[in-house]
Amino acid sequence: MTQYLARRGLYLLVQLLVVATVVFLLLRLVPGDPARAILGETATEEQVARVRHQLGLDQPIYRQYVSWMADVLRGDLGTSITSGRPVATDVRDRLGNSLELIALATCLSLIIGLPLGIIAGLRANRLPDFVLSAAAMLGLSLPGFVVGTVLLLIFALRLRWLPQTQFVEWSENPGQHLKLVILPVLTLAASTVAVIMRMTRSSMLEVVRQDYIKLARAKGLSERTVILRHALRNAINPVVSVVGLELATLLGGTVIVETIFGWPGLSSLLIAGVRARDYPVVQGVVLLIAVLTILINIAVDIAYAVLDPRIRIS
Amino acid sequence: MAEDQTTRDRRAPKNPTSDLWIPGSTLSRRQALKIGGVLTAGSLLVACGGGSSETTPTPSGSSGSSGGSGSSGGSGSAATPGATETPSQAAGTPKRGGILRYGLSTDPSNFEPHVSTGAASGAVKLMVYSTLLTYDANGQLIGDLAEEFGWVDDKTFEVKLRQGVTFHNGDELTTEDVVFTFERIKHPDTAASIAGRLAALERVEAGDGNTVRFHLSTPLATLPYILAMNPSMIVSKKWIESGVDPKTTMMGTGPFKFVERKPGVSIELVRNENYFITDLPYLDGITFIPMPDDNARVTALRTGTVDFIDYVPYTQMDALAQQSGIVLQTDKVLGFGWLGFVHDREPGSDLRVRQAFAYALDREKMVQIAFNGHGAPITGGLIPEGWVGYSPDLEGTYNVDYEKAKSLLQEAGFSNLTVDMLTTSTYSVIQRPAIAAQAELKNAGIEANLIQEEWLTFRQSVQDAKYPVHVWGTAPDFNDPDFLSDFVGSNGNFAKQFHFSDERLDQLLTEGRETTDESLRNEIYHEVEKRVLEILPWVYLIRREQGEAMADYVKGYTHLAAGSWSQITLRETWLDK
Repeated sequence: MTQYLARRGLYLLVQLLVVATVVFLLLRLVPGDPARAILGETATEEQVARVRHQLGLDQPIYRQYVSWMADVLRGDLGTSITSGRPVATDVRDRLGNSLELIALATCLSLIIGLPLGIIAGLRANRLPDFVLSAAAMLGLSLPGFVVGTVLLLIFALRLRWLPQTQFVEWSENPGQHLKLVILPVLTLAASTVAVIMRMTRSSMLEVVRQDYIKLARAKGLSERTVILRHALRNAINPVVSVVGLELATLLGGTVIVETIFGWPGLSSLLIAGVRARDYPVVQGVVLLIAVLTILINIAVDIAYAVLDPRIRIS
Repeated sequence: MAEDQTTRDRRAPKNPTSDLWIPGSTLSRRQALKIGGVLTAGSLLVACGGGSSETTPTPSGSSGSSGGSGSSGGSGSAATPGATETPSQAAGTPKRGGILRYGLSTDPSNFEPHVSTGAASGAVKLMVYSTLLTYDANGQLIGDLAEEFGWVDDKTFEVKLRQGVTFHNGDELTTEDVVFTFERIKHPDTAASIAGRLAALERVEAGDGNTVRFHLSTPLATLPYILAMNPSMIVSKKWIESGVDPKTTMMGTGPFKFVERKPGVSIELVRNENYFITDLPYLDGITFIPMPDDNARVTALRTGTVDFIDYVPYTQMDALAQQSGIVLQTDKVLGFGWLGFVHDREPGSDLRVRQAFAYALDREKMVQIAFNGHGAPITGGLIPEGWVGYSPDLEGTYNVDYEKAKSLLQEAGFSNLTVDMLTTSTYSVIQRPAIAAQAELKNAGIEANLIQEEWLTFRQSVQDAKYPVHVWGTAPDFNDPDFLSDFVGSNGNFAKQFHFSDERLDQLLTEGRETTDESLRNEIYHEVEKRVLEILPWVYLIRREQGEAMADYVKGYTHLAAGSWSQITLRETWLDK
């Protein structure tokens, strides 16, 4: 295990180096000038050139790369070109908010998606399955901005149960914070529930046809034990990988939800950074997302081994 | 009511009349400065009818006329021309207290006072900093930090600062701060937004007493308007030199003090207890909440989680106007869109082609298609009603005429023209007119392939003249017809992107900048408008309606006729609840 982790740690470093390099180069291939972005429409060419010089953007790319890399290795993600704030501070502030949203949405999706998926799998091609599968298709096909806006219109505007006020931290006002988190979590969960449910259903379908399930039933085990102990245990691994994938996607993919509900997360920071060609911000956020994605993958691998003793980590 | 009037008088800066001293008049400089007044760029000496400065201050409040005889300023003199809704929210006696929750359309990128980064951050900065001059509710120039102001001669402008103004840190505002501010603006490293407009400014000098003089190399009639622009806010020399980063914090002489910014969450301001206008502001504070999603912003207003929103999306204007308890204040005179050409490349190099584009657009229909009717066609000149150079006689120069467009194209040898037309997908106020224009052009046999790019990519493409035609939109950056220089003067940023220059226009624009006589300026800019329509450096499309919406208990706010500085009236805003 220790050896495994050490090796994965080494891979992680190499992967990060590749990600950092690719992001750095790709960003500079995108048309649009950060200097023009911060100076607005009225800036003259001389002013743009001046600011490019101040930001060091007139240096050769390799030199910019080396100096950025040197900073990153020292743990310094640099300063945002647009806001003038340290990237590390912004990223840290936003990361917590993002993780909260993603963790809650994933938990909720598991709580709902797993049992529904089991039911659909056991009642395959019967009424409950049809209803649930149709609902899942709906959840998958409705884009986040539709779900979010509809929830906003119903619960904030019509019923006024969950008014979307200014964002407050949990530490400032837990009650208010809870009220604010419900709608974005529901919006995110709408599609994640569907994904988890569908995966659980198909995985269960496959497992319940296996001989050992027949044997378990023949032994006279209770249906509950057959399903939870034997079937689910064997069906769960694909679900775990799907959850891992969903988590990684959500890390940088909650921008619509964040925008609609005014939730200050990582995705909106990333998008704002891209729109303003704020290189240090984009590079910082992407690096962080890369680290987290790799860690999630490691966690998924470890979870496989824990859930299925036949799998050995080596 | 009497009390109301007294309050207004007390808080009003000393800007007595609309009359003005000009060089060579019989008035002494001192007298002229004393009269100071609502300065018109075209400064005619009008008998001032005893309007002495000390006794008849012009209310800066949200109602009442801006006093006195005489001609209006270079900017909107008519109250909110084109305004569609209640022009003013003034009613009842203002009450102190309360925090205004302001739904802001963009999370400001930073607070740098001398670089304009959009209307949203401008609104925030305007609450914390002050400018030397500003506008009243009728679009007239009045003093802000300036107690008196006027021309000493045609190359010297003098401003007398109010006494006893303090920065939020307690330091007194000095002439040195003003001199430092303009040195900072002129310094290339600042990359200040108005540096180009102040090219003729040689130096700023602290004079005797509380006066500051602006020395110009050539006459610059637009100087007072530049001094009222958002990015000419006065900063504290000591504070800036102490090494603070003005991108991340703010400290000025404005009605509100900066408390805290939580990126993406809020910007909190509290009342400046020592604001230089007694009794103002009425609010205890303002909390700006960034709400970039249009629907979310409107919903927040409708559910009462914010009291005020800016940039009301045109798609929601009808719904908001119908909802009780919500007031909409908008104008249709500022924001505009255009078709730009690359002038040294076919087909835009041929005047007949540009004319064909101009005739091929049914702009009334475009207003419907693009903005659900929330806009106005531009068939003549661009200068808004009430400004110097407004030319109603040119209206209808380019009414829709598909046949004429077709024959012009045929003459130019471009029948069945197919052309790449660039626009941005980032801002619907630019994109939608482009889509509407594409449909219209078809009627005249022009097949426009619409290319939609993300904002900065779009700007780069325009800069590089990658496509022969583009559609863009903006609003004048200040309230003088000289804003046209940016677009049709050969040194203008946009003109450079069009690869366009015209000697006659350059000459007219220079004259316009250097002439202080208002009627002369009127003629000059009328000529500019005519010339533009003749040679068509660009083709005007439509104006868009824009403005703010607020709960009906928000009183005292006025959407100004004078551009994007309406938020200055937040200092007079109060909550009636």
